[in-house]
Amino acid sequence: MTEPTSMPAVKQFILDHFLAGEDPARLTPTTPLITGGIVDSLGLLDLVMFLEQQFHVEFEAHEVDPAHFDTLAAIDAILQRKRAQ
Amino acid sequence: MEFAWTAEQTAFREAVIEFARRSLRDDVIGRDRDGAFARELWRRCGEFGIQGLPFPEEYGGGGRDALSAVQALEALGYACRDNGLLFAIAAQMWSVQMPIHRFGTDDQKRRFLSRLCTGEWIGAHGMSEPDSGSDAFSLRTRAERRGEDYVLNGTKTFVSEAPVADVFVVFATLDPRKGPLGITGFIVERDTPGFHVGRPIHKMGLRTSPMAELVLEDCRVPAANRLGREGRGAQVFNDSMEWERGCILANALGAMERQLEDSVSYARERRQFGVPISQFQAIQHRLVDMKVRLEAARLLLYRAVWAKQSDRDPGTAAAIAKLVVSEAWVQSGLNAVQIRGGYGYAVEYEAERDLRDAVGSTLFSGTSDMQRNLIARSLRL
Repeated sequence: MTEPTSMPAVKQFILDHFLAGEDPARLTPTTPLITGGIVDSLGLLDLVMFLEQQFHVEFEAHEVDPAHFDTLAAIDAILQRKRAQ
Repeated sequence: MEFAWTAEQTAFREAVIEFARRSLRDDVIGRDRDGAFARELWRRCGEFGIQGLPFPEEYGGGGRDALSAVQALEALGYACRDNGLLFAIAAQMWSVQMPIHRFGTDDQKRRFLSRLCTGEWIGAHGMSEPDSGSDAFSLRTRAERRGEDYVLNGTKTFVSEAPVADVFVVFATLDPRKGPLGITGFIVERDTPGFHVGRPIHKMGLRTSPMAELVLEDCRVPAANRLGREGRGAQVFNDSMEWERGCILANALGAMERQLEDSVSYARERRQFGVPISQFQAIQHRLVDMKVRLEAARLLLYRAVWAKQSDRDPGTAAAIAKLVVSEAWVQSGLNAVQIRGGYGYAVEYEAERDLRDAVGSTLFSGTSDMQRNLIARSLRL
């Protein structure tokens, strides 16, 4: 499967900040990050700030819904929507 | 790696010491007893440029880098015995002025930062609540957008300088379900309808820095006073806490140096069993421990400020510095009392006040245990 453009960078951020020492192969596009307990509420803030800085987008308060950031695939989808705006 | 200050920085340090000795001397024993804040001394510090040190000149600041500012605050701690006044100044600089500088609009900087830099106004920071201290982001103060205003409701506690402050940075949540991402920062002026300073909180130390609760009852804050983006108050708070943890104990370094010099002098002059007590190994070891703690604390604090200034893992460095400097200050104060025996316990000799003042440093800006938690997080435990 070909990963969409945002996925490698976001995956590396998740591995570095929340899954240090884990096997990278276990983090797939559908691994639940928030509902799976990998990223907590403070971690979500760090993740959103990383995405804004890395991809030059801004998320409004109402857009910062855990459902939009629960998997690498969901993150990629919302990034693509934001970039298309 | 360079460990020396420049000639200009050294000269400024000497100027700060001379200013403090000339302009900041007063009856601190009496004001500590009465819990009295020295607004006149605050004004003199503003006139000299202390509060504005690391902020842009266009907003009344001194335009210095953060390390130079910290060096000046350390010099103040050495030459001024009013730890409460210096705590008040540092708390305003790092938890009120810095977030306005880094996240505020140009209009907010003109309206608030300039008055805070010059000492015309006093600023305070309200985050803690009766049920959210170390767990800061579980705050309950609510903010609701109504037209061009936000309406705030809630109570803040342990707010340093609340009884005397003119303007407050406070945090409230627009949606508690969002946790940290629901929190938003606001700048609230003292005369805002619905804003009240609540009961005073009397303390063990730092008594010349008055503390109180804040009560927000349908407090209407103009949207123009929102600090940073909606839902990004946690980002504002975390950033200012990194500055605060790294920098707020600069004056403690100066205070520890003063304690050490005073204790060495006392030990040389005080005679027991026919000799100066400085000849007893037990006293020597206490003095050596004070010296070693001071040197280690100083290096860690400078490194934390450098890390924040250059954006190199600032959070961990600040937590390590806060933990070590605060614990070192308490031990230094205890040693200073022990070396003096009964005289150290007496109010008139001023060693006991330094010790009482130091205890607070292990609690404010995150307790020592919370600093350990932050450091543990950096270890990915």
